[in-house]
Amino acid sequence: MIARAAFCLTSALVACCVVLGGCGRSTSQGKVKVGMVTDVGGLGDRSFNDSAYAGLVACKSRARAQIQVLQSKSAADYQPNLTVLATERFAEIFAIGFLMNKDLSEVARRFGDRSFAIVDAVVDAPNVESVTFKEEDGSFLAGALAALVTKTKSVAFLGGMDIPLLRKFEAGFAAGTREIDPTTKVLVKYVGSFDDVAAGKELTGVLYDQGADIVYAAAGKAGLGAIEEAKQRAGRYVIGVDSNQDGLAPGKVLTSMVKRVDNAVLRVCRDAVAGKRPSGHIVLGLAQDGVGLTDFRYTKIAIGEANIARIARIRNAIVDGKIVPPSTREELERFKPVPAP
Amino acid sequence: MIDFVWLTLIKATPVIYAALGGVLSERSGVINIGLEGMIAIGAFTGVCVSYATGNAQAGAAAGVLAGALLGALLGIAATRFRVEQIVAGTGINLIALGGAAYGLVVVFGQPGASKQVAALGTGGETAMVVAALVLAVLLHLFLFRTRGGLHVRACGENPRAAEVAGIDPLRVRLWATATGGAFAALGGVFLAMAELDLYSDGMSAGRGFIALAAVIFGRWNPLGATGAALFFGAFSALQYTLQRSGIPSELMQALPYVAALVALAGFAGRARAPAADGIPYVPVR
Repeated sequence: MIARAAFCLTSALVACCVVLGGCGRSTSQGKVKVGMVTDVGGLGDRSFNDSAYAGLVACKSRARAQIQVLQSKSAADYQPNLTVLATERFAEIFAIGFLMNKDLSEVARRFGDRSFAIVDAVVDAPNVESVTFKEEDGSFLAGALAALVTKTKSVAFLGGMDIPLLRKFEAGFAAGTREIDPTTKVLVKYVGSFDDVAAGKELTGVLYDQGADIVYAAAGKAGLGAIEEAKQRAGRYVIGVDSNQDGLAPGKVLTSMVKRVDNAVLRVCRDAVAGKRPSGHIVLGLAQDGVGLTDFRYTKIAIGEANIARIARIRNAIVDGKIVPPSTREELERFKPVPAP
Repeated sequence: MIDFVWLTLIKATPVIYAALGGVLSERSGVINIGLEGMIAIGAFTGVCVSYATGNAQAGAAAGVLAGALLGALLGIAATRFRVEQIVAGTGINLIALGGAAYGLVVVFGQPGASKQVAALGTGGETAMVVAALVLAVLLHLFLFRTRGGLHVRACGENPRAAEVAGIDPLRVRLWATATGGAFAALGGVFLAMAELDLYSDGMSAGRGFIALAAVIFGRWNPLGATGAALFFGAFSALQYTLQRSGIPSELMQALPYVAALVALAGFAGRARAPAADGIPYVPVR
């Protein structure tokens, strides 16, 4: 009986240590405390959450803040994680991801004297700074590039989950291909998960088999699987997303549609360290360098100078407001390509 | 067509390995809902050892060993300590998934996903797909055509009778659960080191639980469970192929699970679990 109790106790302790140890990551030193709650994709996605984390690390080194990250294993963790940081007197608390929308509204209301920031969603509260991106702008460039480079006249979009945020990527991408060549086929599939790397790989294989030679993978960690599949196929490419993924498979990742979550986090963080209160809603597009393509470090030859110059012209047209990329499927249907700049 | 069959096999293979592990363990009388964790630990350990040694085969072997150890942990909890097996299995999942998440930080210095490591490649992928089917046949022959298999089944149906006949049910259950853990870990090795070359948090993505359903759908029979896994794989492949803009993707993504549910409701009514499945055994001696 005693042995059995001891066994249970030990197992429980081990489980606790493992679980707690797994989610807490703190770095000490500094004065102002800045905290972050990641989305379920978590750190290490080489994508969205990692980009936010890079901003936080920059905040630590440049603004001398003390930082802490709490990772969410499921949506049920959002509110407890946010509450923990709020009760521990953090000066600025970041909620990374639109899924935290509702939970943050509630926590922000309960802790009216704390400052919060949310990325990818808009929370209407005086103490919350909302940061969103014009993903459709960057995706439009990705689509235009894909249409310029494709040899099969067929490209594809692979999303993580079929939700409004990801449809901004989808609509922008599809419109970008139309800008170059309305006859280019755009296949669209969704993984149904941001975690299932193997499924991301398998679906990318299906898209290649169905004729696409470039897959724009906006699927979190599942996008890593897309890159794996491209590595095994000659003449097939992937376009990465959120972070610069070009180096994960040099030459196979045509470019990445980077979303500078890091810059946004650093910007809000600096304001917090300086003692400024949240100012409402920030929208970051191409003009603000909030989104954009990478420098084609490994794929300059495959793409060609003329195409790179064309992409730059389209970028300017978007910045100038001559092209307005669609952000929903409905807008995409109404989208008419502007005579090519 | 060949693409479709291959995709079905790829999709089914990790589930087959895990389901075979589940069949073996449950035939001996231990319910194993820790299959998900065993897949994860097999994948994680394999990637870590491959990273440390640069040898993919060594990594794969270590992954299988880790699964066996986790299986043995469940086996000891279920036999020696007579812990409620559902609780123990849940604990196994927590330890494995949490441990791997934490291990990523320790080993690779980064949370979320590991670095890319030496893997088994496409040759290894094909070999492991074939091996899963071979293992299913071998396990079937073992359970139903050998004395050892009879012992395992006896412990799952009537451990008292087995003990009277001179078999040690606790020992048989421990070995069956440990070996089952090794099988399930092969599923993880396949995912992380044959299909891919990295470990990523949550990459098991519920395959261990699909395997549990396959065990029941396959009526605790290795070939049946394999058939169930292939059924699931085929519907996943169908889902992948048919998904297109215009049809809500959520609807298509639910297809394999709905198919599994319908199949379970339709066929499992006639299925019967081993009589002593999940019941801790108190030896006479």
